Amino acid sequence: MWTRLLSTSYYRCFECRSGGPKGIWRSRAVHTCSTPALPAGKITPLQAVSLWKRHFEENGVTEPEQSSQYIIAHLLGAKTIESLEQERLTQFLSREQTEQIWKLCTRRLSRMPVQYVIEEWDFRDLILKMRPPVFIPRPETEELVELVLTDLQMKNVSADAQHTCLEVGCGSGAISLSLLKSLPQLKAIALDQSQDAVDLTRENALRLGLQDRLQIHHIDVIKDAETLLRIIKPVSALVSNPPYLFSEDMASLEPEIFRFEDPAALDGGKDGLKVIKQVLTLAPQILSNHGRLYVEVDSRHPPLIRQWVEANVHALQFKETRHDITGRPRFCILQKE
Amino acid sequence: MSAFVPITSFVRSASCRLTWKGSPRVLQLLTPNPAGLTCVLAAGKKDLINLPVLVEDELEEQFVRGSGPGGQATNKTSNCVVLKHIPTGIVVKCHQTRSVDINRKRAREIMREKLDVAYKGDLSEVVLKKKESVLRKQEKRRKANENLERKRLFKDALAADSKPGSDTV
Repeated sequence: MWTRLLSTSYYRCFECRSGGPKGIWRSRAVHTCSTPALPAGKITPLQAVSLWKRHFEENGVTEPEQSSQYIIAHLLGAKTIESLEQERLTQFLSREQTEQIWKLCTRRLSRMPVQYVIEEWDFRDLILKMRPPVFIPRPETEELVELVLTDLQMKNVSADAQHTCLEVGCGSGAISLSLLKSLPQLKAIALDQSQDAVDLTRENALRLGLQDRLQIHHIDVIKDAETLLRIIKPVSALVSNPPYLFSEDMASLEPEIFRFEDPAALDGGKDGLKVIKQVLTLAPQILSNHGRLYVEVDSRHPPLIRQWVEANVHALQFKETRHDITGRPRFCILQKE
Repeated sequence: MSAFVPITSFVRSASCRLTWKGSPRVLQLLTPNPAGLTCVLAAGKKDLINLPVLVEDELEEQFVRGSGPGGQATNKTSNCVVLKHIPTGIVVKCHQTRSVDINRKRAREIMREKLDVAYKGDLSEVVLKKKESVLRKQEKRRKANENLERKRLFKDALAADSKPGSDTV
């Protein structure tokens, strides 16, 4: 017999607003805002969605309906609520399922991103494991992969040609793993300065059976540049979604981000270009001749990057800027002469 | 996930081999069915070669991504894609996965099917597939009934044989 949560057992809400670098670590101790009582009788998935949507709204949780839908769909074994049959959505949930829903939705009350709540997310045709504080791949980055794929496919990445790509700042492994999945002949090297990211990338690689073609290194591209150059051979493609936010913008990030994601994966310094510049500097030594660099950037960066490269990295030629699906300048493509 | 249509007697009569190496080939067989109509059978992925090709300029795409800076600065999970075909006004909504990229691709596949129906009506792939499926079901039912009938007659025959002196007609 499961005990019904009484109103007296509502927790006080510990809003963790310390924005300092260590702030996110304290988020583990954030207690939930008023978790609603578990229903006395049976409810359907649709009723659960409705209940939690309302509850998220009452507690100022963003995307209340989507959050509720994704969590409940996940517990029913689906990616989205829309991919479930109407019949299933009106069937009563078991006691265990209901308790699970309550447990997961309660995590969302602390503004934990849905991806961390359900511990997975889609990236193109892959399902990747997600775990705080490793950076959650953004939809824009799916397009970065498309750009690289288009070029590599044109270069004819066939059985004859051995191509390798290198990724700086792999996070959960999204970019590298996606490329490896789409190009069976490709090999990849993924780097990250975060041990958590390295571990998660390894885990995802194993889950997807791609570990044989992927090398993962715990390397800081700024501090360990010499080590990096020593251990790798020239590659055909260099890809990166490096931290590119301006430091001053870090303070206005939504709680989902500043409380749970690694700030080192976001903060690009005063002009957001700290890591980007280092990647550009090292590119000529990492790339083989005519190899290309693909980098995701802040919308204000492209002209700045073009100028800076012309003045400082003569072996690199700025080729083009591509926009993302929302129409913002987002990707820079450069080529080694 | 290929929409593989199991081909039974049609394949045997046409003696074709299906190969799945690389991208699945579209197998089309024109074969007269008992009723005298021609059926077009297609096996393989949903992007059948007969579906209309989409012109990106004729499409309007919409997905919620907010007005802020986007990119790393946001973590929005809404990735439902709404695709509109301007000339016909047909709208497709797709939220099958949690990937914007995949939803966009699927929305386009669905749009191609819808345009096919809009342009070709009864001759569209979707309608033809439905008809073919209905015919196959009817065929199955007919065979099942036939079998039952045969069994019944056999049983009757047995029963008649085992009763000595009874009338056998």
